[in-house]
Amino acid sequence: MSTDLSPERPVLEVRDLKKYFPIRTGVLSRVTGHVKAVDGVSFDIRSGETFALVGESGCGKSTTGRTILRLTGATGGEIRYDGEDVLAASGDRMRRLRKSMQIVFQDPYSALNPRMTVGAAIREILQVHGIAHGAEAQQRVEELLVRCGLESYHSWRYPHEFSGGQRQRVVIARALALDPQFIVADEPISALDVSIQSQIINLLEDLQDDLNLTYLFISHDLSVVRHMADRVGVMYLGKLVEVADKEEFYREPLHPYSQALLSAIPVSDPSVKKQRIILTGDVPSPANPPAGCPFHTRCPYVMDVCRSVVPELKPTPSGHYAACHLVHPNG
Amino acid sequence: MQTEDYDMSSMATTDRFDPSEAQGNMTKSKRTSEFAEVFRHLMRNRAAVVGLFIIGGFIAASVLAPLLSTHDPLRTALGNRLQGPSSEHILGTDELGRDLFSRMLYGGRISLNIGLISVLIGVSIGVPIGAISGYFGGKLDILTQRFIDIMIAFPGILLAIVVVTVLGVGVQNVMIATGVASIPVYARLVRGSVLAVKEQSYVAAAHAAGLGHTRIIFRQILPNCLAPIIVQSTFQIATSILWAAGLGFLGLGAQAPTPEWGAILSNGRAYIRTAHHLTTFPGLAILFMVLGFNLVGDGLRDALDPKTR
Repeated sequence: MSTDLSPERPVLEVRDLKKYFPIRTGVLSRVTGHVKAVDGVSFDIRSGETFALVGESGCGKSTTGRTILRLTGATGGEIRYDGEDVLAASGDRMRRLRKSMQIVFQDPYSALNPRMTVGAAIREILQVHGIAHGAEAQQRVEELLVRCGLESYHSWRYPHEFSGGQRQRVVIARALALDPQFIVADEPISALDVSIQSQIINLLEDLQDDLNLTYLFISHDLSVVRHMADRVGVMYLGKLVEVADKEEFYREPLHPYSQALLSAIPVSDPSVKKQRIILTGDVPSPANPPAGCPFHTRCPYVMDVCRSVVPELKPTPSGHYAACHLVHPNG
Repeated sequence: MQTEDYDMSSMATTDRFDPSEAQGNMTKSKRTSEFAEVFRHLMRNRAAVVGLFIIGGFIAASVLAPLLSTHDPLRTALGNRLQGPSSEHILGTDELGRDLFSRMLYGGRISLNIGLISVLIGVSIGVPIGAISGYFGGKLDILTQRFIDIMIAFPGILLAIVVVTVLGVGVQNVMIATGVASIPVYARLVRGSVLAVKEQSYVAAAHAAGLGHTRIIFRQILPNCLAPIIVQSTFQIATSILWAAGLGFLGLGAQAPTPEWGAILSNGRAYIRTAHHLTTFPGLAILFMVLGFNLVGDGLRDALDPKTR
């Protein structure tokens, strides 16, 4: 099952990725179940594009990002970066992969070591990878900081001397230190003031243009995603339920969950009458997901088939992927 | 000069943990070295300076003991037993008529050594055990922690007795014994801190940047666990001196005529009603030494934290 119809080879291929966290109980810590944080997710990301993963908290989008970078091990599935098997890589090959894939974190306050000047933190990375040493490394650090909208003297500062927005710029500068092609941006603006958010978004876009970066942009803010993304994937309970080009997705979302999400975006013009789809109930526990379609417990259009058969993520003729029995009535 | 050594080494340790190590030669022109920075902040902290003076005073007294002492610390004078402080005997005499002041000067040499070396042993073994256990987790962690549980189940002094019994009697072995007995405390303490710190995003960022485990433990995690280690160490110095006293009392530590604060204190206990100076003065000495290390420890903790500078 591929979600990529383009002839060019995708830079990142994720196939049937699974990440289960064991639930341990009792004195002997027996495994009594699993939280299926990511449960069979497949998608491709093309070089130079921004692929956005959206969904509620706890739907597994951050775990997906972290698993791709091997910050946490996968339970199953396959990840290929530039054809290289990420999950099987070790030693030198893993080090090479690490150079080309980086991450920007949600919370810039915990993303920087409080005991290191930001310069020292970035220099360390350059030195470990043998990219630059001594004065050359310092020069490179200052270039990176300037490129991310800071001043070169900021390299001698400690994280607590920066504002949240500045910290996020440092985090981005650090991610760029190894000259990566692919960056997982894990809710990079959701911890920032609204006034700062747009600056960081613009910075990420400028960097993408200048350095031909590929982004996996994880967010729950659909307005930002509309601005940033080329393609959008919607996650619900550890599964991808819809993948489409941005225009297509915002014009005509196919999955009922996506429709509900989009209807919740506030509109600045109060005279516009909008029909909001209010979902009832809570997200089921990923430790005990419902049988059939994971969304059937909250879906306004639920049918009998939804309760027993898991819908597959399949394309419509226009290349718009959705996992819903309404979209693909024949299973 | 052991105490001075300790001071230097604790600074050196922080230097090793310190980010500026990587800055090396090129930053010297741009910014004063981390060591100088820490020292400057320590000097600005009044309490820490008082602590340094207290510790310095004790060190000087120990080093200059032969010059300062008024009597031979070992010479008994049975006609002169249990005298209170006087102009002849500044702090009085003990149950064998020995001059308490002179005995305390010489005893400081041993007690300071015991306190510092045992803490050094405890830190240098306990901290890595705790760090590795907390960082890697899993089966290794379970095994290590059960072993630490067993060690903690014994009172520290009992553990020290076991070690001395195995190694044999003597001041050196007492240092090792008290050091070993403090290992589980450090291991547990550091493991807890590491568990909290390793969840921080900057540790994940270090992984993502391809930094090795050793580098992550020593440069990203442990520097952020320093505060509890420093505080524990200042207390552990006192605890070790008291453990050593207990060992001496049981005949396992410093042997009879050798002056040592803990031993003087325990011997004096029998005369606490009639000659309280035998317990008061060594007690005060231990108190002030702990206070000194405590003040310096607090100051060091703040000076090492970029946020409180």
